Amino acid sequence: MSSFGPTSPSNRVRIVVATSVMLTFISYWRAAAIVLNDLASSAFYACGIAEQAVGKSAPWFIVAVMLFSFAVRAVYVESCSMFVRGGVYKVVKEALGGTLAKLSVSALMFDYILTGPISGVSAGQYIVGLVNETFITADVHGWIPGAVHNIFHGTPHLNVNLTSVVIALAVTIYYWRENTKGIQESSEKALRVMQITTVMVVILMAWSVFTLLKAGYNPVPLPTPQNLHFSRESLGFLSHSFPEQDIAKMFGLLGILIAFGHSVLAMSGEESLAQVNRELAHPKLKNLKKAAIVIAIYSFVFTGLSALLSVMLIPDAVRVPVYKDNLISGLAMYMWGPLILRLVFRAFVVVVGFLILSGAVNTAIIGSNGVLNRVSEDGVLADWFRVPHRKYGTSSRIINMVVVLQILTILASHGDVYVLGEAYAFGVIWSFTFNSLSMLVLRFKYKGERGWKVPPNITIAGTEIPIGLFSVMLVLLSTALVNLATKSVATVAGVSFSVVFFVIFTVSERVNRKKHALAKEQMKDHFQLLQSDTVDRGSLGIRPGNVLVPVRDYNTLNHLRWVLEHTDTREQDVVVMTARVSQFGTAAYGLSSEQVFSDYEQTLFTRAVSVAESVGKKISLLVVPARDPWSAIAQTAHNLESSAVAAGISSKTTAAEQAFALGTAWEAIPEPKKQFVLQIVQPGGIVDTFRIGPHTPTMKNEDVALLHRLWLNITREPGLENVHHHDILTEALTRFARDYGARDHDNIVKELGRHGADDGPLPVRRIADQIPTVQPQPTRSDRDDGPHSPKD
Amino acid sequence: MGPIIITVLVRILETTLAIGAMGSVVVLVLSGIEDLQLLFGREEQNHS
Repeated sequence: MSSFGPTSPSNRVRIVVATSVMLTFISYWRAAAIVLNDLASSAFYACGIAEQAVGKSAPWFIVAVMLFSFAVRAVYVESCSMFVRGGVYKVVKEALGGTLAKLSVSALMFDYILTGPISGVSAGQYIVGLVNETFITADVHGWIPGAVHNIFHGTPHLNVNLTSVVIALAVTIYYWRENTKGIQESSEKALRVMQITTVMVVILMAWSVFTLLKAGYNPVPLPTPQNLHFSRESLGFLSHSFPEQDIAKMFGLLGILIAFGHSVLAMSGEESLAQVNRELAHPKLKNLKKAAIVIAIYSFVFTGLSALLSVMLIPDAVRVPVYKDNLISGLAMYMWGPLILRLVFRAFVVVVGFLILSGAVNTAIIGSNGVLNRVSEDGVLADWFRVPHRKYGTSSRIINMVVVLQILTILASHGDVYVLGEAYAFGVIWSFTFNSLSMLVLRFKYKGERGWKVPPNITIAGTEIPIGLFSVMLVLLSTALVNLATKSVATVAGVSFSVVFFVIFTVSERVNRKKHALAKEQMKDHFQLLQSDTVDRGSLGIRPGNVLVPVRDYNTLNHLRWVLEHTDTREQDVVVMTARVSQFGTAAYGLSSEQVFSDYEQTLFTRAVSVAESVGKKISLLVVPARDPWSAIAQTAHNLESSAVAAGISSKTTAAEQAFALGTAWEAIPEPKKQFVLQIVQPGGIVDTFRIGPHTPTMKNEDVALLHRLWLNITREPGLENVHHHDILTEALTRFARDYGARDHDNIVKELGRHGADDGPLPVRRIADQIPTVQPQPTRSDRDDGPHSPKD
Repeated sequence: MGPIIITVLVRILETTLAIGAMGSVVVLVLSGIEDLQLLFGREEQNHS
């Protein structure tokens, strides 16, 4: 089987392909936190960009965009409630055809790739703004030495845009390295960042209200055509045809639409809602709606209200000239209160901004990687891009390409947030437009299950008219079209980018079509794909107590060979599984079996079968899509009632760390569940064995001695002659649990923490030494047992 | 001829926006009511 040749259908190897992704499900709060990490980051730059484009009434347009985002959110909820299989390309292709699908994916990629540079540069602007402000304050107080003055020819300062570029590059390169190594996207981390952000938002809002009451405010001009003041840049191609200030008055509503188009990036990140959908815990739709409510309200309050407050509190003379790229820092500086307090709060704003914006850089890399991986699965990007990294197993070629594009964008922008924002808006609006257009078309074409529909819908002559969906699509489309005319840099950059990606996708698709047709024929000869929604013993035809062997890299199958050499497959089945990891950003839609079982899996299983044949034993093959490989392994072992999991040693982690990761995944499986053994097979046949699930711990000799000494003493007490070692252990653990749960919690944690840090024993010897050694009574039945583990 | 075409195109865009905006307000209100019902329903469950 290692090389392809004619094979009769009966000899084909059966492969069960699970098509439901094995996910670790998350609550709607965590899902909301992941989306908000992207969406709320816009608050740090959206209003500054909008005000430069349309003037002082920009906050009203930001508020309007945030309100409209409630409606856009409804479109995403409907799209998530559809049970379709295939990636974003396949779904849009189903609705709009191949050409528009490729353009849609290109726009989405443009959106994702721009997220990184704008977030990184914006984080840089906040940091440099704070550093320069600190220099000025220090100089005013005479804290800057004269020598430093001479170097800078005045107050020390950093070049804002240049330093922002350096910071953005540093953050991007850091996350490039982390993603290449394969960091896990953690909902826990997202939740923590959002908790810190919420503290900042609460202080910001409360202090702003206090300031409004104490110091008054500047009115925000209403969003009427007369109050719109477009710059030459913000009219783009239209500036050649119309004088800048006349266009709003000539076409009242058009002016409003142009201003709206310049503010639309405030809702960038909304698309992440679709990507966390599949990871939401049951009941999925209800939790999705709840997450969507949290996201919409939070972003409205933070992005919308902070935009209004910035114009109300920051004087006109400094708002755009000084704080245009770090508006929330400006807001902190114009609160009512002592300067030192304002500076401290500004530093807090910068820390939060850095956390959330650098997180968005990471999300951008993960999202781009996810989308391109899925596009590759859809057959419109060459498989070459998905070849795993030799050491880390990540799709490093895609990550490299994304990061190179981001670095080029950062360098080309020269640290100008406005230019980046204008370009970013192109990707955001076209991505939303294609999505809503696809959903609209799928209302008529897709007849499958759909959990929820955007209201209102009316039925005329038996045909349902999706009025709500159509309306949202009209607003998005008209905004996208007007943006084409008013954002010249974005249009040129966006169209160029989309054309390049479109060409790459088209060429890749043609190459893949031929290659896949050939591979499909070869696969038909040798493998029989059996699609299954879930993983169970029945679908694989195996017995309980089997051995599960996870495989990933076809160059490292030594552990499979070891298992086969040490297992009698007549008595115990061996299941070889590979987890097809779908990263964050790829989970908007399910996978079809052909997508789960790609060329790579075909090569991997061909090698696995070859190993089995060389040992002369039979194996069962399984592919499961998953977000986290450890969860997939734990859930599969649970579903298949495996007695052992045999894995190879990881190049990234130790055997103990691998066991810990699997143990953590096992803990997340709901009861009832069985324990199993994990064997980590190292090169040379050395095997580390771990028990997964609750098990008797390995006791140290001094622990056993201490227990025995206690037992000797206790059994001397009148009436306690029949006490066993395990009774003492039960009493000790019960007391420990009580103390840990209440009065002595902190001390216990401290003591255990010290033990963990020192990696040495708890002070057993010290305690043991305090217990006098007693001579056991000669009449005791277990007198001669000596110290032993408490099995009796 | 040019200005007339531009004016017509602009009017089409404005009409599109106006219709879309009105419909979106309806979406906002209806989905907002659903959201409130969802939150209100949860409250009821918590009290029961």
